[in-house]
Amino acid sequence: MKSNSMNKLFTGAFAALIIAVGVLGASGVEAGTLENLERERAMAVKTMLDPEIRPHERHAKLNTFKRRLVDLERMVLRDKKLRGRNTPNVRKAFENYDLTFMAHSAAEKNTGIMDNWLAQLGLTTQSIMSASIRRR
Amino acid sequence: MSKSDLLYTSRERVRLGFVLPSLIAAGLLVAQPLAAPAAAATKSPSWNPKASEKLIKLPASYLKKSIDHDFAESELGLAIQSTSEKADLKIDTLRDLQESIERAEGELAMELRHQFLAEKREFVNLLSDKNELRRKHLKTKQRLYERMLRKLGDEKAAMTPVRQKLIDKQDEAAARFKSSIDKVDMHIFQSTSAPTSKYAKKYSENMAVIEKLVARIQSHKMSLSIQVDGQPLTKQEYLRQLVAGVQAEVSILEQEETILGYMAKLVALDALDLSEQAFDADLADSDQPAEPSLARAANFFVSN
Repeated sequence: MKSNSMNKLFTGAFAALIIAVGVLGASGVEAGTLENLERERAMAVKTMLDPEIRPHERHAKLNTFKRRLVDLERMVLRDKKLRGRNTPNVRKAFENYDLTFMAHSAAEKNTGIMDNWLAQLGLTTQSIMSASIRRR
Repeated sequence: MSKSDLLYTSRERVRLGFVLPSLIAAGLLVAQPLAAPAAAATKSPSWNPKASEKLIKLPASYLKKSIDHDFAESELGLAIQSTSEKADLKIDTLRDLQESIERAEGELAMELRHQFLAEKREFVNLLSDKNELRRKHLKTKQRLYERMLRKLGDEKAAMTPVRQKLIDKQDEAAARFKSSIDKVDMHIFQSTSAPTSKYAKKYSENMAVIEKLVARIQSHKMSLSIQVDGQPLTKQEYLRQLVAGVQAEVSILEQEETILGYMAKLVALDALDLSEQAFDADLADSDQPAEPSLARAANFFVSN
């Protein structure tokens, strides 16, 4: 009788542990945090390069992007499912922290997102100002 | 078993003469190498554990317990338990018979000795069956541990240089993020008037709860790692230790089979002895005249 109840107890505990292992193993957002970040980043870059909008509009839009990017970048950096996932997208994303996590990188350096991004591509205000216009 | 069941008439001794040789034959059979017999005849009980991902991920302290529990509930585990119980009962029967033999005399003692031998033979058979099942259990357990070790090895081998480089980069990114998070928060929330995002708010609330739970898990006695001489063991080391333990059990089992072999041989020798005594007693009771001696017959030839 006693061993029966012990058996039941053990089975219950074992089942709970299996569920815990399963749940912890499956943690992480299914939709793809990196893909969401890439989409938002692409929109931010498009806004940076859009010649149609005025500077103060661009600044306002980028501020909105910045807040969303901060959250999305954190989701990627905290996503355990990405750890060791050896795909071209993931490899590329972690290749250059400053380009992928542009909002964090800019905040770290106390600069704007656009300045930081352009600097990463080798385009500083100085280099642009010192460039001369030539005919090709 | 009532006492009247044990009473045989002298006529039934003849039957004893038939029974004993079969007892001897059975005893000698049991004395043969014990590896092959019992299980081969009918479908033997089995235990089929799987080295699943979930089993491999279990904490080391719980791994052995869960495997043992799975075995205890399997067909094979139940069969071993049932055979052990039968063997225990048989020991009680043997003890009772031994005490009865000490008190009995004459024919009754002879019959009791016969019963005692038959029960001993049964006992040896039971233990032989149990050892077969135990061997099967140990072999299955050993294969399971080895499969788990192989799987753990495979996971390690899957770490290619490119993947390792990626993990290093991810670790670097995580470390940089961790060290800069306060600065980033200050920069973003000072420069804008908008409140903290819903994600950031919920995340920090949940994080506080997670930290509490993790602290409790780490201090929980069931999640503490297995230690040997104060040194914590990795899961692979622990599995290797379990495999060594199983191999030790197999060695002990083989030694026990030798003991069982000797017991069976003794049963056979006792049966021979009892058979001889019964045969001598038969001759003593017989009405048939003794073999005529040639010396006594010689008189018939010389007197005339």
